[in-house]
Amino acid sequence: MKVQRLSQIAPSIRLTRNRHIAEFWRIFQDPLLFVGLVLVVLFVGITIIAPIVAMVQESRTEQGQELFENYLGSPVYRTIIQNTMEMGLLVAAAGTALGFLLAYVQVKVDVPFKRLMHIIALVPVIAPPFAVATATLLLFGRNGMISRGIFGVRYDIYGLDGLTLVLTLSYFTVAYMNLRGMMMALDPALDEAATNLGASRWRIFRSVTVPMLIPGIAGSFLLLFVEAIADLGNPLVMGGNYEVLSTRIYVSIVGLYNTTAAAVLSVILLVPSLLVFVVQRYWISRTSVVSVTGKPSGTPHMHRHPLIRWPLFAVAMFVTLFVIMIYGTIFAGSFTKILNVNNELTLEHFDFVINGYGSEAMKDTTQLSIIATPIAGVLGMLIAFLVARKKFLGRNALDFATMLGIAVPGTILGIGYLLVFNEPSEITLPLIGTVTVLPKLTGGRALLGGAAAIVLVYIVRSVPAALRSGVAALSQIDPSLEEASISLGEDNFGTFRRVTLPLIRPAFLSGLIYAFARSMTTISAIIFLTTPRTKIMTQQILNEVENGRYGNAFAYCVILILIVLVAIGILAVAVGTSSGAEKTMEGGA
Amino acid sequence: MNGNQAGTLVLEDVSKIFPQREGQGEVRAVDRVSLTIPPGEFLTLLGPSGCGKTTTLRLISGFEMPSSGRILLDDKDISHRPPNKRDMAMVFQSYALFPHMTVFNNVAYGLRAHHVSRGEIRQRVERVLDLMGLKGLGERRPHEMSGGQQQRVALARSLVVEPRVLLFDEPLSNLDAKLRVQMRSEIRNLQRRLHITSVYVTHDQVEAMALSDRIVVMNEGQIEQMGAPEEIYRRPISRFVADFIGRANFLPATVCAVEGEQIAIDLLGQRTTATASFTPRLGDSVAVVLRPEGLQLRPDPDLPQVTVEQAMYLGTSIEYFVRLGDERLIVVETDPRTERIFHEGQSLGLTFIPETAHILPAG
Ligand SMILES: Nc1ncnc2c1ncn2[C@@H]1O[C@H](COP(=O)(O)OP(=O)(O)OP(=O)(O)O)[C@@H](O)[C@H]1O
Ligand SMILES: [Mg+2]
Repeated sequence: MKVQRLSQIAPSIRLTRNRHIAEFWRIFQDPLLFVGLVLVVLFVGITIIAPIVAMVQESRTEQGQELFENYLGSPVYRTIIQNTMEMGLLVAAAGTALGFLLAYVQVKVDVPFKRLMHIIALVPVIAPPFAVATATLLLFGRNGMISRGIFGVRYDIYGLDGLTLVLTLSYFTVAYMNLRGMMMALDPALDEAATNLGASRWRIFRSVTVPMLIPGIAGSFLLLFVEAIADLGNPLVMGGNYEVLSTRIYVSIVGLYNTTAAAVLSVILLVPSLLVFVVQRYWISRTSVVSVTGKPSGTPHMHRHPLIRWPLFAVAMFVTLFVIMIYGTIFAGSFTKILNVNNELTLEHFDFVINGYGSEAMKDTTQLSIIATPIAGVLGMLIAFLVARKKFLGRNALDFATMLGIAVPGTILGIGYLLVFNEPSEITLPLIGTVTVLPKLTGGRALLGGAAAIVLVYIVRSVPAALRSGVAALSQIDPSLEEASISLGEDNFGTFRRVTLPLIRPAFLSGLIYAFARSMTTISAIIFLTTPRTKIMTQQILNEVENGRYGNAFAYCVILILIVLVAIGILAVAVGTSSGAEKTMEGGA
Repeated sequence: MNGNQAGTLVLEDVSKIFPQREGQGEVRAVDRVSLTIPPGEFLTLLGPSGCGKTTTLRLISGFEMPSSGRILLDDKDISHRPPNKRDMAMVFQSYALFPHMTVFNNVAYGLRAHHVSRGEIRQRVERVLDLMGLKGLGERRPHEMSGGQQQRVALARSLVVEPRVLLFDEPLSNLDAKLRVQMRSEIRNLQRRLHITSVYVTHDQVEAMALSDRIVVMNEGQIEQMGAPEEIYRRPISRFVADFIGRANFLPATVCAVEGEQIAIDLLGQRTTATASFTPRLGDSVAVVLRPEGLQLRPDPDLPQVTVEQAMYLGTSIEYFVRLGDERLIVVETDPRTERIFHEGQSLGLTFIPETAHILPAG
């Protein structure tokens, strides 16, 4: 019998540090994992961090500092900053409210046409920029089909009211998805418990439902705020005299060729964006009381009382029909000479896009998106795997840096790219001399006419969503599955390929779909990167809108939507929508 | 993958320190554990929740790295070898079957990782499925099988790679009681037959006793006691072990003679000799461990008198809670004669089987 009682207490700072180092070195033991990590870090460093840093540096030059003081002192710019915040807050409030309403009706109220409402709520994800704004102008502008045609008023929709409307319609989906997910995860037993204790419906809503959803509501609000202040397309079309930071940045670059001024304004825009991102990331996610992975025990109770049901139905249906009307306008506009002026049916707009001048943009954009999509999808899953499953120094930093790709307004990223990639990147090595690491990616004589830079931006803007859905999927998968694989002798890469990736296939698919849709519809980040050799559809749409050729713009939009829908179908078939494992995973094994 | 290998596993002064999950400070999950497991031994790590069993197992498997100390397999230091190169296979509590693969592919998984030829994979998988009573179920998906079958697949998947060491983390705790007993004896038979060194984690002492060649009782990251099941049960070294393995009564006594291993004590009015886990001195106050089946009730007025507070008829035995002064004791009678069935409130004499008494330090 061997007895051991060695209760010496050796609290060991040295031991702790050694452990950290050991854990860090551990990642080197698997060469493939190590290579993967190095590639990811290099990619994030070059394509996300470097441009942001360059942009901030540009704003801190002497000239930049001077501009900075001028701007903060000038009433014009103060108004612009004020406008931006005002618009951001309004859109955040309206979008969150709308998202909440639709989600609540979807999850908690017994009404017809739910499926339709759901699909319509998702449509904005694949909507090209300018589409909603332009259609709204046609419907509610000075000569609007509804404002003038039906109500007989010459309504000036340009400005804050119009902007709030179109931005809300463009972004409420974020809040809808977020809150719908949370409401579905709410344990119905809570409702039942509250009912048992004698609470009325209204009381439950007030004292149980809403408090549980506070983190979701706050999170949606913040996300919408960031999206709204970063948006460029809508203020360009709808802003009128109401200037915001993003349009000012655009004018600085495109009209005044003043990169420094743009960088200074970008930093002013970057501050609230990053602040909100950090708050969202570290505060909201901590205080969440709803466990989204938790399994509700039972089916949620649906409101059936007619006084709750029908008013909510009416509002939700009104919103749904409104959105349908907007997209209907786009569709109709693409098939008529000049909608509301000359309603003669025509295919000339489609001819322009498919066979004429627009065909180049259509092909280029689709091609570049097709290149970016798989890279973004795989990269997203790889980073998710590293972040969610591996221990290494800088794991949180990697996640954070990757998320910056979307947290930072697109215009800012674009300026960063102009600053970093406008010259070839070279390093001077002893003996060998100067080596070109990266060729010139933007501007005239750029590599592949700027296409390389555009693909990078597509990837950078898409990876964050893939990362999040990958992490969410991984958190649902028992880590012992991967450990089982490793314990049977498979290495990290084989485990990822044979076990992890098949199991997170639905997340991979949604990452791919998102990446493709995002790439096809993005505007703010690539608007400074297009060259005469590389035409991008969203930019062409802007051209057509600015020149009043709405028919062409709408035809672009319709075709763009069709391409995205077809791509979603192809991806769903190619990747498969299920992991073949749903049943067991639901069983919790 | 080397069935011909011995599989001697040695832990040398192994510790694992985790940073506290929330905030500062650290947790000593495993604290200076040393073990030598000879080839083919079935060793169980037993202890209450949070005592470091799983962490020890994960250190052996390589999913955690020791903060200090070494782990050796057949004299080679494997402390820093990645888990996929350790020649060990782990059976998980959740079975961890790959839900997107058939049973056949699950079992073949490790062989494919080792690039075994197709023909040989087929042969070996069929053989092990046969061995585990899973013949003909190869094309099923894990979710189409019962818990017991899934557990068998998990075992087959680990056995087929012929590891030098098999590791189990509470593999039976998701099964219902009957199946647990059945799987227990299957695992035991299989391990005896294949003679694979096995380390098994459980917090179920009956399971540990039934399976093991040797049991390691852990407490707060340290090894409290190590020995064969019978030894641990009959000669626990501390109250903690005595309480954790089975049930125990502790009675105070005084040492009246010490003769080598045998200690004489006065207990319940009798002079008797007993074994001890330490060397007491004459006149010491000690605690005597008496298992419930070592105590007996007799309608005898000359014995110390106790009152029956509760009697539970369980079929194979009767359990009594009796009061002796301030102490509440548990007595289990398996005597089938009906005159030995007593009732609540009855006053009876208490005696014990001398061979079952074991001495611990008092307090
Ligand atoms: N990854 C970790 N990080 C921090 N602390 C940990 C970690 N894993 C385990 N611990 C802590 O180490 C101690 C031992 O945990 P371990 O899982 O080994 O216990 P166990 O004996 O297996 O318990 P159980 O019977 O509940 O499974 C516990 O206090 C636990 O909280
Ligand atoms: Mg455990």
